[in-house]
Amino acid sequence: MVSPTDVPQSIVLRHVSRHYHRGADEVRALDDVSLSIPAGSFVAFMGPSGSGKSTLLNLVCGIDRPTAGEVIVAGQRLDVMSEDRLARWRARHVGLIFQFFNLIPVLSARENVALPLLLVDLDRGERRRRAETALRVVGLEGRADHTPAMLSGGEQQRVAIARAIVSDPDLLIADEPTGDLDAKSAEEVLDLLRTLRRELGKTVVMVTHDPRALRFVDHAYHLDKGLLLEGHAAERARAALDLGLGREPGGGQGLGSAAP
Amino acid sequence: MTYLALVRANLRRNRLRTALTGVAVALATLLVCLLLAMPAGLDAFVSRVASNTRVSVINRAGLVYSMPYSLVRKIRGLPGVADAMAVVWYGGAYEERGKLTFPSFAVEADHFGGVYPDYHIPPAELAAFRQYRDGAIVGRATMRVYHWRIGQRVTLRSAIWPVDLDFRIVGEIPNADLGAFYISREYLDQALQAKGLPGLGIAGLIWVRVAQPEAVKSVMRMVDDLSRNSDAPTSSQTEKSFFSSFLATLKDFMTIIMAVTALVSLCIVFIAANTASLAVRERSAEIALMKALGFGRRPIFSLLLVETVLLCALSGGAGVALAVGITTALRVFAGRIPELGPLGAFYVTGPVIALGLGLALLVGVVSGLAPAWGAARRPVAETMREVF
Repeated sequence: MVSPTDVPQSIVLRHVSRHYHRGADEVRALDDVSLSIPAGSFVAFMGPSGSGKSTLLNLVCGIDRPTAGEVIVAGQRLDVMSEDRLARWRARHVGLIFQFFNLIPVLSARENVALPLLLVDLDRGERRRRAETALRVVGLEGRADHTPAMLSGGEQQRVAIARAIVSDPDLLIADEPTGDLDAKSAEEVLDLLRTLRRELGKTVVMVTHDPRALRFVDHAYHLDKGLLLEGHAAERARAALDLGLGREPGGGQGLGSAAP
Repeated sequence: MTYLALVRANLRRNRLRTALTGVAVALATLLVCLLLAMPAGLDAFVSRVASNTRVSVINRAGLVYSMPYSLVRKIRGLPGVADAMAVVWYGGAYEERGKLTFPSFAVEADHFGGVYPDYHIPPAELAAFRQYRDGAIVGRATMRVYHWRIGQRVTLRSAIWPVDLDFRIVGEIPNADLGAFYISREYLDQALQAKGLPGLGIAGLIWVRVAQPEAVKSVMRMVDDLSRNSDAPTSSQTEKSFFSSFLATLKDFMTIIMAVTALVSLCIVFIAANTASLAVRERSAEIALMKALGFGRRPIFSLLLVETVLLCALSGGAGVALAVGITTALRVFAGRIPELGPLGAFYVTGPVIALGLGLALLVGVVSGLAPAWGAARRPVAETMREVF
């Protein structure tokens, strides 16, 4: 267990690096990053493409493991866990939201939401009840039987959020959640994430290019070339973002794009 | 939401592909079941119509060579012989069909009942066969095909002898598997002589009924000893062996068919494996998503494997059901269509059903194993990099 500070820390990264090999070259996707994110906060990782923010997200949610350093989330050291143990840990502690929603097209909204509950020891009725509750939280109780093709982009993302919260995880990880949405839907999704953080006490970590996100988050971390920017560098990055200089057309490439 | 619901949804994802794979597996299972049913069916057929205490005696050189008619009288005098009867192939074709649709034999009417007590022909009909030289006893299968009745007259044109004879049906063999048409040897003999031809001095085949099963071997030895040093040495064997040797050629042919079927099944395994690989590749994003959500290697592997196994099992079940349906239909129609021959005796037995279903399951496991294992063992980060 991690030694607690005054405020319980949901995420602690200590000197974390993630290097890849591309042929003979070594790519430093993330280099000696240390940070602490308090439990129950809403934070964003921001930065240009290739800055390492998706790599960081992958490490925080236990999809990837660092080359060096410690990743401690919800009291567990993820960098020492096996693949299968990480899978079990993710099922219990992490809710994932993707840029392109990633719903299963042959399943209804209710079935999509109930998908993570297959990993929990619950009877069929209880799974259904929890899935419907999660859909109610995101305001889609009337769309439970609709397949993804019958829903708008904003509605699909809300189904994805319902899927992320249905197993009551400690941590919500959102990768460019507004990247494929119109302005109105993007605002609604950001507001929903903030509500989940405020009313359910979830820790929400988001990767985004969207400057609007700054109005919703408690803190934004800025990354560039695998380094965590601090002080004046972070201020400059934030100012550039406000001016739209750091924004990339079409958004980022998502969670999986972290590695070469 | 259950794992089974997820499997069902995935199988419905591409209905055409699922249906085509299912049909391929079902047809392979059907083929295998029918082929496996053949030897068992033929054996069952032989068991129903053949006896262990009846012995066939033929010229050792082959069935097309004859034996002297006098031999049958000598055989009747051997100890342990209950009765014996000389048989000559008549080769009769019914006028309405013009081709040989059932076997016809000229036999000794006085000894017919003695050689075939297990045919359970009523004594009155046997007496009529002995009484009327143009009398005929016909198997029930042929009687049904032509809707003949006892007392009816029919003309059979012989493909072997230069005579067309009229017969009066005087009896029926009450066994639906049998369709032979038995006429009196005396009648054929006289008809030939009436045409100025030499009479029947030969026997193409001699049937011998042995009184006791334990005496069969010694009787066969004694029978063959009678003509050991003659121009026409004989070869004796039980009726079951006699029919089985006929069917052995067919069974040899079936071995070749079985080998081809095995290759066809192997091809279907490859087709199913290819389909499963395609299905897994198409769903890379979903598999990556499920892994990211926390589905470990085991549930992913099981889910993908169960999909293939379930599809193959259901298709195999359909194939087995078809095989049972087809053989049942063959049995029903065998009485009306004599050309079906022993096909009408095919049964898809319990072991054949088990083997067919087992094969379908094996196809499912073998074809699903590699794609499922490949998808399950890839690290989640690698999978997500490729698809997101």
